[in-house]
Amino acid sequence: MKMYILRRLVQSVLVIFLVYSATFWLLMATPGDPFLGHKMPPAAILAALKARYGLNDPVHAWLAYMWRIIMHGDMGPTISYENWTVLDVIRSTLPVSMALGAMALLIGLWFGVAAGLMGAIYRGRWPDLAMTVFSLLGISLPTFVIGSGLLMLFSVSLAVLPAGGWGTFSQLVLPAITLSIPYLAYIARLTRGSVLDVASADYIRTARAKGVGAAGVLTGHLLPNASIPVLTFLGPATAGVLTGSFVVEKLFAIPGLGQVFVNACLDKDIPLVLGTVLVYTALLVLLNLVVDILCAIADPRIRLG
Amino acid sequence: MKRTLLFPTILLLLVGFGCFFLSASAASRRGAIVFCEAGQIHTLDPQRMTWMQDIRVALGLWEGLTQYNPKTLEPMPGIAEKWTLSPDGRTYHFYLRSGARWSNGDPVTAQNFVFSWRRMLHPSTAGGYVALYFHLAGARAYFYSLVHHPRHHLAFSTVGVQARGPHELVVHLTRPCGYFLSLMAFPPFFPLDAGSMQRFLTHTGGFVHYNARWTRPPWLVTDGPYYLADWRFHEYLLLKPNPYYYDRTAVHCRRLLVENYPDAQSAFLAYQSGTVNVLSFIPGNFAPALLHLEAAGARHDVHYRPVFGTWFMDINCLRPPLNDRRVRQALAMAINKQAIVEDVLRLPERPVNVLVPPDSIPGYRSPAGIGYNPAGARKLLRQAGFPGGRGLRRLKFLIIGGGQTAEARIAQAVAHMWQKRLGIRTRIVQEESKIFHEDTVNHNFDVDLSGWYGDYRDPTTWLNLFRASNPNNHTGLNSRRYEALMREASRTVDPQNRLAALSAAEKLLVSDLIPAIPLYQASDGYMYNRNRIGGIRPNVQLITLFKYIHWRNHSGAAGAVR
Repeated sequence: MKMYILRRLVQSVLVIFLVYSATFWLLMATPGDPFLGHKMPPAAILAALKARYGLNDPVHAWLAYMWRIIMHGDMGPTISYENWTVLDVIRSTLPVSMALGAMALLIGLWFGVAAGLMGAIYRGRWPDLAMTVFSLLGISLPTFVIGSGLLMLFSVSLAVLPAGGWGTFSQLVLPAITLSIPYLAYIARLTRGSVLDVASADYIRTARAKGVGAAGVLTGHLLPNASIPVLTFLGPATAGVLTGSFVVEKLFAIPGLGQVFVNACLDKDIPLVLGTVLVYTALLVLLNLVVDILCAIADPRIRLG
Repeated sequence: MKRTLLFPTILLLLVGFGCFFLSASAASRRGAIVFCEAGQIHTLDPQRMTWMQDIRVALGLWEGLTQYNPKTLEPMPGIAEKWTLSPDGRTYHFYLRSGARWSNGDPVTAQNFVFSWRRMLHPSTAGGYVALYFHLAGARAYFYSLVHHPRHHLAFSTVGVQARGPHELVVHLTRPCGYFLSLMAFPPFFPLDAGSMQRFLTHTGGFVHYNARWTRPPWLVTDGPYYLADWRFHEYLLLKPNPYYYDRTAVHCRRLLVENYPDAQSAFLAYQSGTVNVLSFIPGNFAPALLHLEAAGARHDVHYRPVFGTWFMDINCLRPPLNDRRVRQALAMAINKQAIVEDVLRLPERPVNVLVPPDSIPGYRSPAGIGYNPAGARKLLRQAGFPGGRGLRRLKFLIIGGGQTAEARIAQAVAHMWQKRLGIRTRIVQEESKIFHEDTVNHNFDVDLSGWYGDYRDPTTWLNLFRASNPNNHTGLNSRRYEALMREASRTVDPQNRLAALSAAEKLLVSDLIPAIPLYQASDGYMYNRNRIGGIRPNVQLITLFKYIHWRNHSGAAGAVR
């Protein structure tokens, strides 16, 4: 197990390096100049700006940025918000996205599992049908539709929750629900399917035959085995949801990383794009590792290594 | 599942609440006026800013030698309480107030201005408006000597600015400049406190500059009506009255929160629900409906007016067939601007045939320009050798953004008019802003849709756009006649004669050369309840002076807030 984790960590470093380099060269290959705007300064000023960000020579910039990150843990200043360094931006926006994402995932996880269980238990009856319809809607409706609907209902018509912003719990409710819906729907379907799968397994019949009660079968045998696909899904979902959602953050005016990332790409803010991509990659790699370990703990049949 | 779901649940709870408490420290809105900007703050370095929202905040934090009169926007005494101008119009003596202080209590001195102006003239500061500094005698030569000979550059003493003691500043100009006092109220000319910036001085890659974090609280020291009490990234800026400001009694807003909503629709919802008190823009999609309600008397908070900006189409004068000005004139004559404004935009914008917004500069008479004349357009096109558009290639019509934006709708309408009236076909290309700007700078287009908002109250803020040496001249126009007229105007000392000469230059542009086709004068505005908030005066330059903004019922207490 220890060797396995070590090997995975070494692999992770390699993956992160490859993603960093690919992002850098893709950015270089895309058209557009980050320093051009509506009001053009004299050419000498543009040259000075390029020099300040070390972007006169791409190969040099590729190595210099990497060197700075490894040696100083510093990603330099951003281009579009020059009073803030890349680290400043990540420090202030990542916690926002993570808080929102964690809350959304928590809602998605518990309500999703509950809905999925209900669907499996009442298979073919109306709660199952309701769950299927709801999860279909949740997966197919885009978040901006769900979010706008919630906004219109709770902020404008009923005026019980704030329309946007960040800082209080009441401001967290609507965006967290909006963000959770697709995850909730997916987890519900996943749970329902895997519970039904496991329910027909031999060991469940054996447990019943031994005289274990319905509750005992559910908590002791059914759920532990049925939860493995859900756990596997949680890993990448967590990385995705924690690093922010552009649509939800924009709609609810939440100062999160998702918005910063998309705008940085549009602005061709090279240091900021690299910084956010690095954070996202590191989270994704790390969480996948955590999930693999968790699955091994949950299911003795899974062998790591 | 109990066991397996417990761990992720605990983890998510910890992450969720931990990050929430880490990130949430929202400023109290009690008593605060919440001012919503149209865009994010890009920088608070007054010498680096070019965006309206940055400039608006800078006008609240700093004060220059002069400040804008809130009613007329004419310059009036600021940090300088008085000044004299030499008879040849080239030397100003500014006398600074002895009571002017920085937000840390230090006195504002003439040396602060010299330090700031010297920094602006250094290429590594990369000040976007550095060309405005070339009014100072010797400034252009000094700047370019630093660019081309960094080791053997000219001495700063060759630039026409000197401090004579702490309270007297002497400024020499290359030639008389009627709007120089106005420029002194503009952020790139604001003083900077060298002392508080010292710790941010860095030397990277052979460049000496200040780490851009110097503009963040608590380090930022300013000399204007407010100081920056807090700045949270992408959330808000909190401005509080500067206790050392010499005119402290004129500032009635105790807390000013400057925010930005990334989505105009969300901003409007926040305004409607009372979270935001002032919108510094009219949300685009709702504008026609809102203006209709205002006109019908159902709303009283939409303050919309023509501003100091023009929307026009650049024509690439370098590529055939558009290098023939008859073709350009024909293109201009075939556009029904009234129809664009009424049917496409559905806004009360004013169609124009000139570039400098009419009646926006006192004493300046706009020339006539070319109006809608389809028959004349067809005739010109025939004379140019393209009867009915035959022999003309498809034109690349470049616009910014994606989707069905106002720009896209205008471009489609114009393309339709050209096709129908002249038989000219176009290809509309939408590009993201950074790519759009790259293509316009490289002249990789035939026609583009562009807007320009004036920086100072003088026709040259537009007319310089079409001079051959201007980096913003995307049209490639290089007209000997136009250059001669502009040079003549710049040599003219008498203000009336100078404006007349500039008007003649504009006439050449808009009725003969046509490097650009003017469409309509820009309009913009604010949304706020006039009965509750005072001190905002929607003006032609869209300048809001935060100094004067206040709650109407003067208590400023919580009861007045919501």
